[in-house]
Amino acid sequence: MQQHEIQDFLLRYFSANSCELEENLSGKITVQLTEEIDRELMNRPFYWHYLEKTGGVAQPMKLTLITDRDAFPEEKGEFIHYGSPRLHQLFSSTKKLAGYIRLYQQNGALPDRQTPLFPWLCINFKISYKCDRKRDVYQSIGLQLINGRMVQGFHEKMLSLSLTPKIPDYSFTLSPLILPKSGMMRIQKQLTESIEKEDHSWAEAARKRWQKDLDLLLHFYEGREGTETGIENEKEALKEQYEPKVLISVINGGLFYLTENAVK
Amino acid sequence: MKASIAFDFSWDEGLFERISKDGPWSNWELYKLAVEAEKLSIIPEFEGLQAPVRLPQLTPLPHQLEVARRVVENMNGKAILADEVGLGKTIEAGLILKEYMIRGLVKKALILVPASLVSQWTSELNSKFYIPAVAQRKSYVWDQCDIVVSSIDTAKRNPHRDLIHKQDYDMIIIDEAHKLKNSKTKNYEFVQSLKKKFCLLLTATPIQNKIEEIFNLVSLLKPGHLGNEEAFFDRYKKASRSVHDDEHLRELVNKVMIRNRRGDTGIEWTKRIVKTIPIEFSKEEKSLYEAISTLRSGTGRLESNQFSLITLQREACSSREAVYFTLKNMLGRKDQNSQLYEEQIHKLIKIIEEIKVNSKAEKALELIERIGDKVIIFTEYRATQLYLQWFLRQHGITSVPFRGGFKRGKKDWMRELFEKKAQVLIATEAGGEGINLQFCSNIINFDLPWNPMRLEQRIGRIHRLGQKKDVMIYNFAIKDTVEEHVLKLLYEKIELFEKVIGDLDDILTRLRLGSIEEHLADIFGQSLSEGEMKIKLENLSALSRITADQ
Repeated sequence: MQQHEIQDFLLRYFSANSCELEENLSGKITVQLTEEIDRELMNRPFYWHYLEKTGGVAQPMKLTLITDRDAFPEEKGEFIHYGSPRLHQLFSSTKKLAGYIRLYQQNGALPDRQTPLFPWLCINFKISYKCDRKRDVYQSIGLQLINGRMVQGFHEKMLSLSLTPKIPDYSFTLSPLILPKSGMMRIQKQLTESIEKEDHSWAEAARKRWQKDLDLLLHFYEGREGTETGIENEKEALKEQYEPKVLISVINGGLFYLTENAVK
Repeated sequence: MKASIAFDFSWDEGLFERISKDGPWSNWELYKLAVEAEKLSIIPEFEGLQAPVRLPQLTPLPHQLEVARRVVENMNGKAILADEVGLGKTIEAGLILKEYMIRGLVKKALILVPASLVSQWTSELNSKFYIPAVAQRKSYVWDQCDIVVSSIDTAKRNPHRDLIHKQDYDMIIIDEAHKLKNSKTKNYEFVQSLKKKFCLLLTATPIQNKIEEIFNLVSLLKPGHLGNEEAFFDRYKKASRSVHDDEHLRELVNKVMIRNRRGDTGIEWTKRIVKTIPIEFSKEEKSLYEAISTLRSGTGRLESNQFSLITLQREACSSREAVYFTLKNMLGRKDQNSQLYEEQIHKLIKIIEEIKVNSKAEKALELIERIGDKVIIFTEYRATQLYLQWFLRQHGITSVPFRGGFKRGKKDWMRELFEKKAQVLIATEAGGEGINLQFCSNIINFDLPWNPMRLEQRIGRIHRLGQKKDVMIYNFAIKDTVEEHVLKLLYEKIELFEKVIGDLDDILTRLRLGSIEEHLADIFGQSLSEGEMKIKLENLSALSRITADQ
């Protein structure tokens, strides 16, 4: 992620959260936070508590963020870069504020023809393959809740559609035959099966490394009395370090109501 | 066997709740942004580092990248970085810290370094790595800043200590970690008490003398990795331990420690040119040295303490001021001094008063004038340091002192003065650590430490990355003294100056020698004749060479 991409992200984050931009230069922005975002980012519970007690007028903070230090060497402001805690905070805040969605496809239906919209459940996953090393994979899966059709890369397909949070005129939604709960289970089952079919040699290799370390450890403690606690701790540490695991978490997801042929 | 698969189901309930309550739903723009942010944060490969690509203005050396990669990929972020002095351990640590910050695994980090290095670390992390590190100056820093650089001496004291324990640090980095070799010290106990999720210990000299030092370091990092203390010493400290045992110990240590040697890095290093400068005592200096030496055969209280005598002999090779200072201290402990004891000391002080010149200082002056460039003089003794400063000033040569006891700001200031204004920096042992002085390429070892590693650290201050010239090392030795014997019969024989003290394997093997310092004190203290002493020294150097060659 380059510094200008970071600035682009910042602008989109604050505008999506209705914060007013007071200054927007290349490499530096100043933004007036809303009360909601101040509470979200600035970590000052005592201030808000005090306001609630005294009934004062809230004064959300302004934030100056600098993405190009060379251009603004002397300016006061937080320098935001890829490793900075603030950017990570904004990333996780984005995720937290955008966990669930419900959208309808804008379809330009005419008054004489009511257009049916088909319900889809979409879940965007982060799949982490973890042993003593770690890698992540992103996957988006959509499930049509009437005929059970499952589609990979669903989120990316949504990007080209025109979507709205309110049901459009002259459109109606079809009731799902598959309940969201069982839809979710179908998606999880499908994901589990496909991961099990993958090449697991990375896990094998991790187990070999684990065993090697364990042998070393056992040799080290060989024939020694009274070292049980130490050895158990070390064994546990090795397990935490090496045990191969696939951890699946949800980034976000929700319900999409789409026209019959919207998803190719 | 396949990996286990675990779902995080915490998201599911939220969806059902929103369906039944008809909201609240997020906005599409933010929702898309969340997916994008997540795609940017994921690390698609097990292998490789993310940090270097995010730091286009930094060009790490291949061995530094390799260290960072190994620590992240193979060591799970817990390691002793033990590259030889001057290979850029700070860069390695910075890369690793950055890597974990990028992966979102580290938010708060505590960096403990010698006081003289706090500003340097802080500015390097900020300017080279975009890591918003803050130098600890006020106690509120602990709460309010995520990346804090502090000296360990400050950190271990209250109120800081308690405040630090309240923080939840993801990573602890400790520079000059060899200072933690002794598990009985407050510093050790303090570091031990810190929670260490990820931890880096940086030291150029993981072992100076004894095998327990490496045990203590490793146990700090990964308690139990080398077993418990009792079992460890039972097995490894005894002389009869087998080669098999050594193999296993080495393998275990290598799991948590990386050590690069200069030769391995493929970098073109400037040369080290070592010159021994033999110096003759003046008549008066000689009589002081001899007066101390003759006490060795006596039987009084002063004589019975061989250690004091050897110290006095070594000091006599440095300056009369050093001897005088020690003698004064001896007199200071009045209560138990016998009359004979005091008489002996006063006799020595009388001889000191006769001394008019310091032959070494004269030589140093001559050399400095000839070099005409920046020079660092190292001495073991503070009294010598003060004297030299005075002496050089008398001859119109600007110098600045440097020692461990200086406050952080003063150290930075002295370094700066040396770089910009003064010709000479006079450093005592403690001051030799942790300052980078690569703009200077001449060292005078005014006297010699009896620990080869400490000598290496002295040289490492200037013979490091960034040094453009060949490094000149001048060793002063007074003829026919303990000093000359150590230099000629031991250090030169084991080629200490040309060849940097070995890598981990060498060191572990060498450990059988025990502490060189103790050996030396024993040889000089217990030998009945000059001949016996020389033979013992020969033996020691032969033994060193053999173990190094193996």
